[in-house]
Amino acid sequence: MGDFGARVVVKNNGPVFRLKNGNYRIDLATDHRKLLTQLVEQLRDSLATTTDDANLRRLFPTAYNNDAKKDAEYQRLMRDELLESRLAAIDVTIKVIAQDDEISAEEIDAFARSINSLRLVLGTTLDIAESDYGSQSDTQQSDDSDSDEASEADEFLIQKELYEYLGWLLEWTVGAQSSGL
Amino acid sequence: MSEFTFASSQPGQVQEIDQSDETKSDRPWIVIVWNDPINLMSYVTFVFQKLFGYSLEKATELMLDVHHKGRAVVSSGSRERAEFDVYRLHEHGLWATLEHESL
Repeated sequence: MGDFGARVVVKNNGPVFRLKNGNYRIDLATDHRKLLTQLVEQLRDSLATTTDDANLRRLFPTAYNNDAKKDAEYQRLMRDELLESRLAAIDVTIKVIAQDDEISAEEIDAFARSINSLRLVLGTTLDIAESDYGSQSDTQQSDDSDSDEASEADEFLIQKELYEYLGWLLEWTVGAQSSGL
Repeated sequence: MSEFTFASSQPGQVQEIDQSDETKSDRPWIVIVWNDPINLMSYVTFVFQKLFGYSLEKATELMLDVHHKGRAVVSSGSRERAEFDVYRLHEHGLWATLEHESL
């Protein structure tokens, strides 16, 4: 598991906080909201296209480790329901990101699940391993000046930054939610 | 008859009963959460508290078991209940499986 929290600078006011009335607020700059919307919409479009993509595998885990037949039957019955649940959470998340109003506990829950889904996909794409935590920018850059490789390294860096950013945002979201337990 | 037992939440759907499993053992089904390098420790702890009503101490203990030992049993009961718990954990992005408790 990732211990992102250990590396987050503690601030009095994070981007997500719980109000006294039990609702929540998300305090993000406009460009961050646009970025999040873009990422979540990309995830929605990917899920609408296929759920069999290898990078999406963590969103649809096996349920029976040692029984392929039972797992196939479970997936037959539950995969679509899980997909619908994820898409519904994404719809709520897009709405929540677009507004600057108070949001409910149910909405912050959908927001947290969607941000976590994005991390799972990005982390899979980046092939994140346990040992990666705490290693800043352990990139695949090489001295090779080949433009394709440089472009790949740039893309990797961008995705890694996004992954770190989503971890920071989720950490604050969970902190706000936990304060309401 | 099918081997599969599942109580769907969808009304009107036929529930199939797994006689082989029911007669094989009275052992409960257990739900196991497996370690992964992506989910945040704080998030996993929160999910355990939220879904199962565990105290922060209990949820943290289970999370640390997942982190250090690679897995933790987070609930047990009927197969129907275990499948429901697995589904809820999957909804939250955790890798959970169910199996018969070992003797």
